[in-house]
Amino acid sequence: MANLSIGEGFIFTLLRLRNYVEPMGLLNDVASRGASGAKKIVGSRGSKPPRYSAAGLIAKGLRGESWPRVWRDVPLRSAYDVIIVGGGVHGLATAYYLATNHGITNVAVLDKAYLGSGGSGRNTAIVRSNYLTPEGVAFYDRSLALYNSMTDDLNINVMFSERGHLTLAHSDSALRTMHWRAEVNKLQNIDSSVIDPQQVKEIVPSLNVSSDAHHPIAGALYHPPGGIIRHDAVVWGYARGADHHGVEMHQKTEVLDIVCTGGEGPDGKGRGGKVTGVRTNRGDVSAPIVVNCTAGWATLISDMAGVRLPITTQPLQAAVTEPVKVFLPAVVVSGSLHVYVSQTDRGELVFGAAVDPFTNYNVRGSLDFTEGLAGHILELMPGVSKMRLLRQWAGLCDMTPDYSPVMGFTPVDGFLCDVGWGTYGFKAGPVAGEQMAECIATQRTPKLIEAFKLGRFEAGRLVGEKGAAAVGH
Amino acid sequence: MTQSHRLNPQPGEVIDRSAPLNFTWNGKRLTGFQGDTIASALMANGVEVVSRSMKYHRPRGYMTADFWDPNGFVQVGDEPNVRSGHRQLTSGITVDPQNVWPSLDYDVKAANGLVGRFLSAGFYYKTFMKPAALWPAFEKVLATFAPGGSVDLDSTPGYYDKRYSHPDVLVAGGGPAGMAAAIAAAESGARVMLVEHEHQLGGHLRWGSTADQASARQLAESVAAAGVEVLTDSTVTGRYEDSWVAVSQRSHAHAVERLIKARAKVLIVAPGLIERPYVFAGNDKPGVMLSGAVRRSIAMYATRPGSRAVVFSGNADGDAAAIDLERVGVDVAAVIDARSGANIVEAHGGAKRVSSVELADGSSIDADLLVVAAGWTAPTSLLNMAGDRPVYDASCARFFPSATIDNVLSCGGIAGDGNFDEIVAHAQATGRLAAERAAAVQHRLQARTARSAPVEFAEPAWPADVRSPLGRDAHPELFQSSTVGMVDFSEDVSSKDLVLAAKEGYDSVELLKRFTTATMGPSQGKLETVNTVAVLADARGETIEEVGTTVWRPPYAPISLGGLAGRMFNPHRVSSIHPWHESNGQIPIQVAAWERPEHYGNPAGEVTNTRTNVGIIDVSPLGKLDLRGPDVPKLLNLLYTNKWSKLPIGGVRYGLMCAEDGVVLDDGVTGRLGEHHYLMTTTSSGAARVWEWAENWLQTEHPDWQVHITPVTTALSSINIAGPKSRELLSRLTSIDLSREAFPYMTLRTGIVAGIDDCIMWRIGFTGELSYEVHVPSGYGLHVWQALIDAGADLGVAPFGLEAQRIMRLEKGHFIVGQDTDGLTLAVSAGVASLIKLDKDDFVGKTELAWALADRMHELPQVVAIQTAAPTVVPTEATQIVRPGTNEILGRITSSRMSPTLGRSICMGQVPSSLAAGGTALELVLVPDGRRVAATVLDTHAHFDPEGARLRA
Repeated sequence: MANLSIGEGFIFTLLRLRNYVEPMGLLNDVASRGASGAKKIVGSRGSKPPRYSAAGLIAKGLRGESWPRVWRDVPLRSAYDVIIVGGGVHGLATAYYLATNHGITNVAVLDKAYLGSGGSGRNTAIVRSNYLTPEGVAFYDRSLALYNSMTDDLNINVMFSERGHLTLAHSDSALRTMHWRAEVNKLQNIDSSVIDPQQVKEIVPSLNVSSDAHHPIAGALYHPPGGIIRHDAVVWGYARGADHHGVEMHQKTEVLDIVCTGGEGPDGKGRGGKVTGVRTNRGDVSAPIVVNCTAGWATLISDMAGVRLPITTQPLQAAVTEPVKVFLPAVVVSGSLHVYVSQTDRGELVFGAAVDPFTNYNVRGSLDFTEGLAGHILELMPGVSKMRLLRQWAGLCDMTPDYSPVMGFTPVDGFLCDVGWGTYGFKAGPVAGEQMAECIATQRTPKLIEAFKLGRFEAGRLVGEKGAAAVGH
Repeated sequence: MTQSHRLNPQPGEVIDRSAPLNFTWNGKRLTGFQGDTIASALMANGVEVVSRSMKYHRPRGYMTADFWDPNGFVQVGDEPNVRSGHRQLTSGITVDPQNVWPSLDYDVKAANGLVGRFLSAGFYYKTFMKPAALWPAFEKVLATFAPGGSVDLDSTPGYYDKRYSHPDVLVAGGGPAGMAAAIAAAESGARVMLVEHEHQLGGHLRWGSTADQASARQLAESVAAAGVEVLTDSTVTGRYEDSWVAVSQRSHAHAVERLIKARAKVLIVAPGLIERPYVFAGNDKPGVMLSGAVRRSIAMYATRPGSRAVVFSGNADGDAAAIDLERVGVDVAAVIDARSGANIVEAHGGAKRVSSVELADGSSIDADLLVVAAGWTAPTSLLNMAGDRPVYDASCARFFPSATIDNVLSCGGIAGDGNFDEIVAHAQATGRLAAERAAAVQHRLQARTARSAPVEFAEPAWPADVRSPLGRDAHPELFQSSTVGMVDFSEDVSSKDLVLAAKEGYDSVELLKRFTTATMGPSQGKLETVNTVAVLADARGETIEEVGTTVWRPPYAPISLGGLAGRMFNPHRVSSIHPWHESNGQIPIQVAAWERPEHYGNPAGEVTNTRTNVGIIDVSPLGKLDLRGPDVPKLLNLLYTNKWSKLPIGGVRYGLMCAEDGVVLDDGVTGRLGEHHYLMTTTSSGAARVWEWAENWLQTEHPDWQVHITPVTTALSSINIAGPKSRELLSRLTSIDLSREAFPYMTLRTGIVAGIDDCIMWRIGFTGELSYEVHVPSGYGLHVWQALIDAGADLGVAPFGLEAQRIMRLEKGHFIVGQDTDGLTLAVSAGVASLIKLDKDDFVGKTELAWALADRMHELPQVVAIQTAAPTVVPTEATQIVRPGTNEILGRITSSRMSPTLGRSICMGQVPSSLAAGGTALELVLVPDGRRVAATVLDTHAHFDPEGARLRA
């Protein structure tokens, strides 16, 4: 974290954000429309689409039929109640919960590429709730609960594989931190404990637990409810669910500008302004509420409304091997070696790492990442030296100074953010969507995300011990 | 089984018939020849089924019989996923099929094929949902379908290596174009590396006419004569930023695989073309082969791919395959000429092999071999990695590079078509252009490099690309999705799967890929992408160009984890005094890379001896940075929270460092050795981090400051001499006046210790005792240590380890950064308020700390000393402090020990400010039984000698 915001970035950003006041009462019109909005759904599906099931598969197979579109392909209209910029897990979950929990369905989700093309499709799909702070535990436990019931809620098999999550400790001091986490977790009724190297070996036989390893495994924090999930299915599930309630998904629809009025900046943007809509590559669309749910481009989108964010963008790289027979039963994370690994049901090892140590919009990936990754993996699991790396990629992470997101209202009336999710956005997707939907619908900041307001940077209250999602450890 | 399908000697064969090799396949003993690939040896022995497909377990034979063959994966010993079409046969290897159960010939999971209509792509998203409790069981079953071989978890990595290289021109591809380009570049004065994926140079000439083969030999000789470095069986796996090119060398004499990292000034991409499969019913049956595979089998390996063939030909290579087959006595039943509109509909056959081919006109021809020549795919990966977006040309039915990238050129089939002379002429022009551009890049690099005499002559003009482009041969667009055939053979994804998925809304190429997994298998789309795009284009009623392709990502060909890791260097750090510790009963502990004595058998006794007599500890792992320059005080003022401008020469000061967010980063002591010379110590684990941190501030924010930092952690061995008799002990080894007046607390002296010059001594006291820390040139560390032991026998000198030091510092109330503080602990929480000087102009973290001090102190935790009510209860570190009677977490114990000095348990912990006052009662939840016990906060951090009388003695 040390290199994040040297010099200009951090302190200056704080200064620029001074005098920020949370706007009050901006959503009267939409809130009052909430209930009626459900009645006047525009472009809603006429009939209930068929549920996914084995019986359905057999019936379709026998008749050689295809399934209906997972989400509709409808023309972009000129006005919506809410425009969500970014068709990833966060944007789609926000749209889904707006529709299902609050009856706000006149909503468009815009994505400049295809749904799930950003971080949602590039992450390594690990979910867990064994965080360090009680607030973090509560936040992510809610997310894990939503993931747990997601297959049922969304009627799509998101293949949540509750396989156990091991965070390895390679030193005395790391082990001490694991104990700390375990004790916090236990008091929160989270299944989490510290296990010794022999127990580690029993759970993951491929790990080298010998004491003469370069980074010997001193123990691990074991979190049985952690696991992996099919991230694309989560995206498609939310999109399909939102679509069923009338929300529109528009791909290849790039937001080029956000139209504001009354603000102190150029073109009516900035503090004191009010959003009236967006300009896209497919035409102008008006809406009283625009929500920035992007990652990698969060600052560029917010700039369009004249809202500056204390965010820097850094790539996070990942890679996958050729498949082999399944041998790795749990998710293994090593903080000191900057690597995490799991094996998919297809047999591939999926690797991730820490963010690149510099700001960059490049998602091509680097050679030295794969070299370092392979070295660390072989230190942990010498038996996989003959496996081959098949593909590498990178995603963009929007990093904030306190490793916590920026959620909720901004100095521009009607412009909201759910951004700055760093390396942990996927894990938080469902709960973030749920909370953002509540924020939009009730025009109040829900308690669970109170700590993540943009205003904290001006007030000097960086999220730390109070932060529900801080993952500094 | 004899080599029943081996032909008579062929003019260009690469096998050595005088060198037979034995191997086993699927438990059977077989023989091949030196030069065979595993696949060619299997084919020569009449093996028809090599593998079974992933999902439906359909039998598969040889389709491309080269590196990219999706059907050719085998297990060789403990190595999974070996490409049988590429890997050369070696004596005695054990080769087995993968992904079969119970056997290759009879596979139970082939029953999946019968229910295939229900298992459309992505079927698993739509089922196994109820009952939820059964999903884990379903998941286990699904996991048994994971394709691929098996890893032997007990195998140890072989010898892998790396190499750096700086060629002027690197040529990817050793066919005629690549060779001609390499020769021309070398003859123009460039240093050239030529990398060929296959085992021989020559590309497609290797299986061409006698004249082709002669041309290949001639070019290869010229390559050698031109001084080009040639790597065969090696692949350019990636082109990264700044022309950083990765080469996986599989042909190294000693290394299993070697990763060559080349900073190529210019990259020439000349990989040729990859033959594309054709989509039709039954296109994955054994006996359906691409034309190149057939021609290679005959010309290079002298194997007979079948006995009666139908050839579906859309180009000259298909025609040539028919001629080759007839030449070696295979009956060519028909040539179906796609150029005249003729078409095949389905390959029929039994479980093992094609038996007849159904044509579009309804007729059917008996054959056991169907040869397909449906066109080419340009493997543009390396160009894509450099930023190129290939453009589809419908008249040629393939993609071509779009833009020209300054230092990435292409030639050969990827760039266009032509006869041999045209291809070579274009490649030569490419090689010359590459050499000229490399020279320009060379000049640029030299001019940018700091040197005493600047490069004076002007940068040469960037050599323009004046090559005449190659022509493009027309080729029919042979794409169809009317009949259901395999599009992705590795993933068992058919054209029907793709059409259904597109109808369901997964209708952009990336969504389609993710939903169906098409192109995600081992060949990463080299065979599959264009057909996938074509099917999607058809389903959407668009052109291939409109649909576009997926992004090609590195690596071009898979590379082993061993190869990427290279040699595993595992530095094991010990101090120069380590031999003494080893022979004197140390119990070691690993701290970061360092091995240190945790204790010598009795840590409590070590504490008592130090507090009573004198103890010495090896603290060499302390991070040490030598700082020189007039602006060092500015740097210290920036990095530390306290003030440094007035530190006198000979003075020593403790400092605390914060990150910008005010969180404690590191701490240590810095002493001033001279006018512009300081020695900074850091925590042992923070040594590298602090160096980087300081350099980062200097280089990015204050490049004008005159400060030079040299890390000297291992140049100096450090010994702390602590205890009431430490002055007496040290005085026996040095003439420096150690008296309280001459050498007071928090000062330093330099001079001779135990006969060793240039020692630095400073009076500080982490243990709370009178103590001296001596830094000696590390070559003499052991000598000084031994001298201390020898000189102090009558004083009761004894070594103490890390554990005794930790006990004593806890007794004394010194926190350890990273243990008693954490990633969220602000400096204002650490109980060192006097060290935070907000009246300084600036320091890292000042803004945050000022805010915190102004209005957040009530909500921040504090580091405090804590004692349990029961003196014998030592709460484990990480024990939680809770609101009495509840599970509400208020704080935690960060350090705890039984104090030998006080005879009771002592702790340090973090509590909310409201509970930080001395005498506050706390409730602890003990580990592991959850028992709750009472404890009290102390007035000061120190459990022992809070006034510091001992260390100032």
